[in-house]
Amino acid sequence: MKHSLIFAAALTASSLFGISAQALDAPVTVTWQMWGEPNDAQLWQQLADLVTQQYPDIKVKLQLSGWTDYWTRLPVLAASGQVADIVSMQSMRMPNFYSILDPLDDYVKKSDVKVADFETSIMSGLSQDGKLYALPYDVGPWMVFYNRDKFAAAGLKEPAKDWTFDDFKTTAKALTKDGTYGYGTQAFDFIAGPVALGAEYFNADNEFDLTNAGFVDAFSKYADLTAKDKLSPVFASASDASAASGRFASGNVAMYIDGPWTLITAQANVNFKIGIAPLPRGSGPSRFITAGSGWGISAASQHKDAAFKALQVLTGPKAAEILGAAGRALPARLAQQTYWYDGAAKNVAGTRDTLQYMFAHTTPFRINEKWNQFENLVMQYVPVALTGDSTPEGVLSDIQSQLP
Amino acid sequence: MLAKHTDLNARSRPRSRRWFRGEGWTALFFLLPGLIGIFLFLVLPILASIALSFTNWQLLGTPRFVGFSNYTRLFTTDPQFWTVMRNTVFFTIEYLILNIALSLGLAVWISSLKIGQRWFRVVFFLPTFTPLIAVAIVWMLIFSSGGLLDSLMAQLSLPFSGVLNNRTLAMQAVIITSLWAGIGYNTVLFNAALDMVPATYLEAARIDGATAWDRFWKIRLPLISPTLFFGTVMTAITSLQVFDQIYVMTKGGPGSSTATLGYAIYQRGFQNFQMGYASAIAWVMFALIMALTALQFWLQRKWVHYDA
Repeated sequence: MKHSLIFAAALTASSLFGISAQALDAPVTVTWQMWGEPNDAQLWQQLADLVTQQYPDIKVKLQLSGWTDYWTRLPVLAASGQVADIVSMQSMRMPNFYSILDPLDDYVKKSDVKVADFETSIMSGLSQDGKLYALPYDVGPWMVFYNRDKFAAAGLKEPAKDWTFDDFKTTAKALTKDGTYGYGTQAFDFIAGPVALGAEYFNADNEFDLTNAGFVDAFSKYADLTAKDKLSPVFASASDASAASGRFASGNVAMYIDGPWTLITAQANVNFKIGIAPLPRGSGPSRFITAGSGWGISAASQHKDAAFKALQVLTGPKAAEILGAAGRALPARLAQQTYWYDGAAKNVAGTRDTLQYMFAHTTPFRINEKWNQFENLVMQYVPVALTGDSTPEGVLSDIQSQLP
Repeated sequence: MLAKHTDLNARSRPRSRRWFRGEGWTALFFLLPGLIGIFLFLVLPILASIALSFTNWQLLGTPRFVGFSNYTRLFTTDPQFWTVMRNTVFFTIEYLILNIALSLGLAVWISSLKIGQRWFRVVFFLPTFTPLIAVAIVWMLIFSSGGLLDSLMAQLSLPFSGVLNNRTLAMQAVIITSLWAGIGYNTVLFNAALDMVPATYLEAARIDGATAWDRFWKIRLPLISPTLFFGTVMTAITSLQVFDQIYVMTKGGPGSSTATLGYAIYQRGFQNFQMGYASAIAWVMFALIMALTALQFWLQRKWVHYDA
């Protein structure tokens, strides 16, 4: 009797305690691993604070590292089980890292996140084998940035949305004069460019097939612009993506290829009017690849539910508005893209039309786990084709042979 | 017989015990932080890398044992490996010869100066203080197309541009950068050794009518040969590991013309996430360094003279 009384009392106490614990919901600190320069910190912190405003019990702790460091640290942290609750991920690196993330489909189903609110191409970019691993905050296709003042001076018409490679080449020729190059080539042009021309670098099994006739032909077209027609300066293996953007800013090249994520920086660096145009198409219709970044939840996280709540805020409409208005990102949320068009791209003619045309013509950006390796080899080997040291076919078969 | 053994044990035991009493323990206590550090950050990673070189660890997930297949792949099917090996050896030989010749020349020249010896020593030693990454960035800007070198060549109307885009010249650019950064150390080392050569020997030789060349070749050089040997071995080891300059200036390109073992380890390990394969390359590099160092130690008997 006595025993059962005590037992009952204990049971009541424990259940009472349980209820009160649930009601109080101890504050949770969710860590968030993000890349960025020190001057980006304020913007990301603003987003982190947004989470706490909506969920006072959740505090988001930002862990910022530089872009290159981020990708070196991430696998090391993951391997040692120290990865943050919220992990930032770029679509092109997803095949290497999806294993450390939790699929989000179930979370999304249970919440009021609407997949249709986001740009489709980037949702598939952040998925692997049909499962969504991250919610995106930005998106963007590779496109042609051009110097409108030089176009006007040369008496050239603004590029049409469906301009062809021949149009592009003729334009570059007309702009190559007085020490200025018509075009400044970069390593990634040899991926985005051929795709826009209709070529494929993968076979049906999602394996690299760089020596197929279509890809060799499209790749050669881009290489010849530099090697044969001398319409672009050569880039060295070491100088990565920033080489042509610097030349563009200083007025030494009239066109180069980059994504909307650089538009805000590009505008700050130039003293001429910038225009943007889609990548030139081949004989078929236009098609473009897009990339973007988002945030996923670490599979090892101890606070997955809190992390998903935070994630909803970070990729929510308010956060997208902040990032879009600041020019930091072309929001992946369709409704909030307008903040970017009206803010960052306000002085760039036709941005909205061009990008909407490009989003309407996206093709899946096919990648596999060897993508990083491939990109490095492109950077290393393409210069050899640009100087004429080797043929485009030779370069492609060199790269192919090193991708086991 | 057995009794003898126990006797020996009994006798040796107290001695070892005594050692671990008092001073011994104190010494161990003070050495412990260092020992733990060495074990955790040196011994353990070395052991781990041997083990990893037999796996296909991708950094994420668990390593899978694959036997010798990383090594077989390296030596038989990897199309880049022999190029990388050749580049590494080429860099080491050219850099080593130039470094030793130039730093010895500078050291002799500085020691012959009547005034400003200290000043020149500092000037040539200064680059040694500068982080190699910073040095490499500056030289990359000089050598890159449209850089300082190109405009200089254009001024001189020489048809010579884009050194870093040239498969033959890119390595030479890396070597020049490395020389600029690395020569000071050996210069100061050799200069100090030259200063230690007793003046009386040189004085006596001069009286006997030895020429300046004879005095250098027959007296000073043999007397500084131990230092020269040390400098050569250390320089060879560091140049076999060359990485920073290549990472900054060329990223192994154009093509694979400047890819070395050090860069290949980084690329495979941290860019391609092939940790097992990178570990295998690291052990090949280790073997190469050991072999070349052993060769140098063997060769030293022919030319290094310790005080006789």
